[in-house]
Amino acid sequence: MGKDIREDIAWAQINKDVLKSLESPRRMYWIILFIAIAMIGVAVGSEVYQYQTGMGVSNKNNSHVWGLYIATFIFWIGMSHSGTLLSAILHLMHADWRKPIYRFAEAMTTFSLMTAGLFVLVHLGRLWMVYYVMPYPNERWVWPNFQSPLVWDMFAIATYLSSSVLFLYVGMIPDLAICRDNIHAGWRKKLYTVMSLGWEGTDRQWRNFRITYLTIACFLIPLAVSVHSIVASDFAMSNMPGWHVTSFPPYFVAGALYSGCAAIITLFIILRYVFKFEEYMTLPIMKKLVRLTFAIAMVWTYLNLIEFASVWYGHDQTAKDQLIFKATGPYAPFFWAMIFFGSILPLMLAFKRFQTHLPILFVVSILLNVGMWLERWMIIAPSFAHGHYPWTWDHDQWPSLVQWGIVFGSFGWFTLLFMVFCKVFPSVSMYEVKEMVYHRSLALKHKPAVKGDY
Amino acid sequence: MSQRHLLALFNDFDEAVAAIAELRGANIKGFDIDDLILKSPIEHPEVEKVLGDKPVNVQWFTLIGACMGGLLAFFLVASAQANFFSQIKGGKPIVPLPPDFVLTYEMFILGGVFITILGFLICAGLPAKRSPLYSAKVSEDQIGILVQGDESAVAIFKTIFTKHKALEIQEEAGK
Amino acid sequence: MSITNLLENWSDFRQQHPSDDRPHREYKWAMSIDLDSCTGCNACSVACYAENNLPVVGKEKFAHGHSHHWIRIERYWDNDGREFADQGAQFLPMLCQHCESAPCETVCPVGATNHTADGLNSQVYNRCVGSRYCNANCPYKARYFNWYDYPTTDNVWPEPMNQQLNPDVTVRGKGVMEKCTFCVQRLTVAKSNARSAGRSVLDGEVQTACQQVCPTGAISFGNLVDPLAKVGKQWMKQQVELNKDKQAKDAEEKAAKLRGYRILEGLRTYPSVMYLEQLRESAI
Repeated sequence: MGKDIREDIAWAQINKDVLKSLESPRRMYWIILFIAIAMIGVAVGSEVYQYQTGMGVSNKNNSHVWGLYIATFIFWIGMSHSGTLLSAILHLMHADWRKPIYRFAEAMTTFSLMTAGLFVLVHLGRLWMVYYVMPYPNERWVWPNFQSPLVWDMFAIATYLSSSVLFLYVGMIPDLAICRDNIHAGWRKKLYTVMSLGWEGTDRQWRNFRITYLTIACFLIPLAVSVHSIVASDFAMSNMPGWHVTSFPPYFVAGALYSGCAAIITLFIILRYVFKFEEYMTLPIMKKLVRLTFAIAMVWTYLNLIEFASVWYGHDQTAKDQLIFKATGPYAPFFWAMIFFGSILPLMLAFKRFQTHLPILFVVSILLNVGMWLERWMIIAPSFAHGHYPWTWDHDQWPSLVQWGIVFGSFGWFTLLFMVFCKVFPSVSMYEVKEMVYHRSLALKHKPAVKGDY
Repeated sequence: MSQRHLLALFNDFDEAVAAIAELRGANIKGFDIDDLILKSPIEHPEVEKVLGDKPVNVQWFTLIGACMGGLLAFFLVASAQANFFSQIKGGKPIVPLPPDFVLTYEMFILGGVFITILGFLICAGLPAKRSPLYSAKVSEDQIGILVQGDESAVAIFKTIFTKHKALEIQEEAGK
Repeated sequence: MSITNLLENWSDFRQQHPSDDRPHREYKWAMSIDLDSCTGCNACSVACYAENNLPVVGKEKFAHGHSHHWIRIERYWDNDGREFADQGAQFLPMLCQHCESAPCETVCPVGATNHTADGLNSQVYNRCVGSRYCNANCPYKARYFNWYDYPTTDNVWPEPMNQQLNPDVTVRGKGVMEKCTFCVQRLTVAKSNARSAGRSVLDGEVQTACQQVCPTGAISFGNLVDPLAKVGKQWMKQQVELNKDKQAKDAEEKAAKLRGYRILEGLRTYPSVMYLEQLRESAI
């Protein structure tokens, strides 16, 4: 199966192709943007209503105090993992095939984190007091409770968001310089001039750039792992049956990578189609990505089964009851749907013929993310309906339209951010694609007899 | 003697390297090889062979930043707990070490990343004013060599650059 | 300064709870509830509504699970395959257990719930941001959230019911968590009076609202540190120790004769409420 990229693409062509994606959008763009804004409108309306009236309108209740907000929060946090983590790991491993796809993946990281952050706010009963969670100096010496996993979350997400924005930005400086050199009018010119910081590609700049990029990549790997482990700690550190599971942190990290990879596949296909990036986002790269997704899907499946097995053979009767409740109680359809979408469906990805079949992959990747969203919901909701104490048993609760509205709107918010990004910043890294082409042509020069795939 | 800047553009990286090697060997008045600046559209680590090893100091910023971040976090958190939380929570010690280590870890990374970026900006001299001689071709596909020398040396530079198939030679307007 | 304070008093800051080394000095409020006396009449719950300004949310919100009953009477039916349970329902009044090592306290992001010096699990309404993590982590689900702004909702305290609101207790607005306080407003007054008189609070000097109204006297409340207190004697007699997560008596043969137990003790929450009930193998 072909090459990741053709080595004879002219470098000027790369600039031209990518810069073309920044040109004035077509009508369809505005239509989708409008739909996204309308979706955000639904969420804002729901939130205003909830803010004014009280959390009761979301149809949560005592004993069932968390709902879709936390589930969707984990979903977005999880989605944010693939971009930065994969980009950093593949960078360290010198996997050249990351180069055409990492930019939009990192943008996805940033925007899904920004979406996830909103869910924390929406979830709070007293949103107007949210600053209590931050450790700010005050004359009364009142601080947040540093023992709480929610405060760890705050620290971890703040660190992750700022670090991944910086990682994205630093990696984009040479490309911003290209934009500056090629776009000569309007606000864009000013924006690129300021943001490219006077980058000229001098040897001194490249030398420091290389080590900086590498260092941040090294920091981001343990950081990304710790972020989702901390989100898992929100559950694993509590004493709820179904949550108090030692294997939660790796399980969450695997789930996060999984949904992130699936989202990368979805966006890959969209960008490839919309911006005509066939030369850069090639099918062999897609194939590697799909194989990676398949591997992570199997890791996730394994960890899921491990969790069930350790509960099943453990001594904690409540946790076991809770597992049975999940599989047979009112949540059973969602539970089995999660198993189907999360573990059975990805088996398709093992077959070569589906690995590069874009329409099928598009649908499958979205369904995988549906499965991953269900997984998060299945962690939250059933645990509240079957806790340690009998008073909570059979206490099911269906989220109200306010909750669904905000969840729905969050997808609009993500779409809006991502679409604006794609039109303002190059969504394929130009200088790194050139590097990839260069490395490949060097390899050909040294070993002219190299054959097709490796 | 006034100094003049020259920027030569090359299509081929190997030719540019050869030009630099020749410049290094030649004895040109007012020219120092350390002042030579190579501008390239992609990163060429190989260039250090001809330019000589130049120190990179970003990693020291990283080390200091990370350690400061970690220490700051631990002492901020622990002393905040010791001063404000005179009350026990969940039967755990007032200064519980495991949660504090989690926060120390996060802040270690945060400090490391932030100060690394700061170090990058300082070491790479960014943000910078654009140098007088720059060509948009450099961000596209050509290699640029920026040299500095006496007015008398301009001709020698030009000879060397032309010999190595320079596509274009820009000269700073005389002052 | 802060860091000096940290380093000088390091051992104080590292103490764990509950511990035999550093027991409660003056007060440790505790309760015992005799389930064999409880008739399930709900008087305790009503008294609590009156004393602590609990909002009456109405039928519809109650059905949605938005009620606030800091002490709730739970009914358990042991039908054992028959159409009706032989002994009818069994009742259990559940309230905040004021755990010595409370799971709710560690998880609160803003430190709105703490362990006080006299052994209560306190809730600071002004500090609460409503993350509801405490409720999620409470194994007894004894915490209640203000889902709506009840003080401004019609018919929660309709005229002239608002005249009976207890001035010693705040009325909570929307978005904060609340729960049983062991009638902390009464405890504070009693402690203050006792301090003025230069003594500790005597047993029986202070009663919680639920204890006060219980027609069968099933609830006793007092200071576990006070050797004369009834509640302490009951705990002693039942061989239930505050600082144990597994009582020694449970391992012994004669344990069957002792009625005292604490709920979900194995989770190591060290609750301050002991229940008394003759455990039966169903009703034979």
